[in-house]
Amino acid sequence: MSKQKKPPIPISGVVYGEIIYWCTCVSALVVLFGTIKSFLEVDQTIPVDYLLNAVFEGRSVEAVWAGSVLQNSPDALTYLAILNSGEAITVAGIAFGVLSVGPAIFFSAAFMWRSHNEFFAVTALVSGAFAVIAPFVFFLL
Amino acid sequence: MMISKRLPELQLLILCTIGCYIFLELFVASAALDGLFGFTGVDIIFISFLLSFFVAIISVIAGVGGGVIFTPLMLAFTSVDTLIIRSTGLVVAMFSGLVASGPFMRKGLADIKLVFLGALPILVGGFVGSMAAVSLSQHLGETGDSIVRIALGLLLAAIALVFIVGGASTEYPEHVERSKLATKLKLRHMYWEDTLQKPVKYTVHNVKIAVLLLFAVGFTGGFFGLGGGWAVVPVLNLVMSVPLKVSAATSGVLLAMGNSAAIWPYINVGALIGVVAAPWMLGQIIGGIVGAHVLSGIKAAFVRKLLIVMLFLTSLKLLSRGVEGLFNISIPFI
Repeated sequence: MSKQKKPPIPISGVVYGEIIYWCTCVSALVVLFGTIKSFLEVDQTIPVDYLLNAVFEGRSVEAVWAGSVLQNSPDALTYLAILNSGEAITVAGIAFGVLSVGPAIFFSAAFMWRSHNEFFAVTALVSGAFAVIAPFVFFLL
Repeated sequence: MMISKRLPELQLLILCTIGCYIFLELFVASAALDGLFGFTGVDIIFISFLLSFFVAIISVIAGVGGGVIFTPLMLAFTSVDTLIIRSTGLVVAMFSGLVASGPFMRKGLADIKLVFLGALPILVGGFVGSMAAVSLSQHLGETGDSIVRIALGLLLAAIALVFIVGGASTEYPEHVERSKLATKLKLRHMYWEDTLQKPVKYTVHNVKIAVLLLFAVGFTGGFFGLGGGWAVVPVLNLVMSVPLKVSAATSGVLLAMGNSAAIWPYINVGALIGVVAAPWMLGQIIGGIVGAHVLSGIKAAFVRKLLIVMLFLTSLKLLSRGVEGLFNISIPFI
């Protein structure tokens, strides 16, 4: 019986997967760092014990933040402004993992185009653009 | 267990995570939280991580996203705000898929063309769904929460039914006629099937219907914070005739991508609380990899039956809590 050959694996897929994989690993380390910092901060911008208490008491999102130093619910820009706090670093770590989808799609689209799959390269570019724009749509509406 | 030797980065991540939590437990003074049986904040973080780790393993074996387990359980049995639960649910649903994208693509199991075909409908659907969730919560408050619980209760019962009839899923679906659109788009592919020790060819069908269904899946995933692994696999396998293994891998990659847009409306209203979501995210990453590599030998059928029972019971609890909230009554025994 002749031995069957393994089919080639599309490079565009591998590029997409590798970028996402490694960015997710990095984002996990950032999230860990943020968690430790949240608990170790002496002069906490957002006290972690208060946050956990408020969340598990069942307070609404508005009420949770109204009782904090921020007084209003933070958006992505607020987190950027207080990026030295543990809570903001943790959210930034999660956001980094989420945002890695954008560049991964763009690089993958380039390889898709090179392999003469123009239709999928274009759908990938549109999807990548949407993934990158999505964080800002809130501010436009 | 040679998995950590094959994946040194996983070894590093596990060591860092465990080290971090042991450090916090031993050296950080955290106050006991009100009404949580004397557990401190650090205890809650560690318990969340462990729960997430096991949820990830169960969801990998059962072939669903972790969000399907996390969100309904939290909505049914805790008093945490529904927006916070749903945003964390999206993190749970997303990160096991994100980290699995690498191995799935390396092995050639996920079909990158199918991923890009479904990416836009699922991205837009997820985003619109989460915008709708935020809007409903802001305008209807407690009533909106009750409506969400009832709707999710009904959806869970439907998901459980999908699992029961899921036996219709076929490992290698076959079609006699060819789809013109799929032929035009060159949607045919081949993957290496380890169990058969040969490549398996497949062609795709019903492209237009599948695109519409993926939009709907994206919407429900974003709205309820469920992800949508329970629905994407049937769409790919039963509607598009993609082999089951490729469907499962492609679904993971596709959902992670779709949820990446859906999370932003939640972040921008402050519903993603980092310290709450972090242990769930880490548990999903580590548990997702461990589950995918180590536990492939475990009987999936048993886990699926367990999941069906859990989905029905949670559905009942969600419906009762929704009705109680909506009509201000108390339903005994549930």
